[in-house]
Amino acid sequence: MTFFDKQTDPTSPMHWRGDMQADYLYPSGVAGDKFFKHIKENDSFLASKCLKCKKVFFPPRMYCEDCFCEISDKDWFEVPASGTVELFTVVKIDTYGEKLEKPRVVGFINIDTTDGALLGIIETDILDENLLGKKVEAVFKPKNIREGTLKDILFFKKK
Amino acid sequence: MMTTKNKTVGYPKYAPGTHISRKDITNKNVTYTWWEPEVQYSWSLGPAYSRFLQELKRKKIIGRTCKRCERVIVPPRMFCEYCYKPTDDWIYLKDTGKIETFSISYLDPNARRIKDPILIGVISIDGASPMHGFMHYFGEMTKDEIYIGMKVKAVWKPEKERKGSITDIKYFKPLKGGEK
Repeated sequence: MTFFDKQTDPTSPMHWRGDMQADYLYPSGVAGDKFFKHIKENDSFLASKCLKCKKVFFPPRMYCEDCFCEISDKDWFEVPASGTVELFTVVKIDTYGEKLEKPRVVGFINIDTTDGALLGIIETDILDENLLGKKVEAVFKPKNIREGTLKDILFFKKK
Repeated sequence: MMTTKNKTVGYPKYAPGTHISRKDITNKNVTYTWWEPEVQYSWSLGPAYSRFLQELKRKKIIGRTCKRCERVIVPPRMFCEYCYKPTDDWIYLKDTGKIETFSISYLDPNARRIKDPILIGVISIDGASPMHGFMHYFGEMTKDEIYIGMKVKAVWKPEKERKGSITDIKYFKPLKGGEK
């Protein structure tokens, strides 16, 4: 076979298949560790407040993003696991592009008494409902199977 | 201490921070996210490399000739990068060669430190043009015995284990006098 010969058999050129190991481990850090350990034990969230800027961080931070001052441990407090829907979208395909049997609603939920928000699944049967501004609350996994990750929140349901 | 144009600036030798060890992870003292993404690839080899690997399965090394440059190219290529012309013919080559360059590696493919070094290098295959060959492992020799210009011979896997890969050759061993 020379360079100008036409290939008639599409299986004759070989393919070299392989996969690359690219696993990673990402520790949550000091503030994140405290936050996730709190979720593991309680049905509420933690937030931290900068006394100077009066900003309430959620998820909690160790340092204020605006004035760079340190937030001490006593400025951390418990907040309820409920909030207001800021944004939402109806998802009809999964991460691999396959069609989902049942569409899911994913929302950006502003947690009550804080300036922060969280992405979460909103459990609802009516898909064409306008959820903006609706009050929702988090439903957690049973305490014995919690792992200290965001997956411990099963979904958010309407109040 | 670091000296700039006008002044000397100090910096701490020990950076403060929260240190975690492997034990903290295995004992789950700290929370973390672990994920293994699926990173798969399929590399299309083209006519030249396909034939090269198929011939390795048959315990043969094959090259391509370029008549204009009077060159024997291995691993084969369908196009001569010297004269920009398609190469002309297939040619079978010997499974012997000469060490062109080598490296003594105390790291394994996962970058872990090892005691017995891996010997790896480039082999100029006999019958091909000078400096034409490929990279492979060396075996049946120690790090003190290896030298540039050493005659080597391929050690093949048994027929059942050969699957059309460069690792169908286990390694290259020293070629003793009288051996072909």
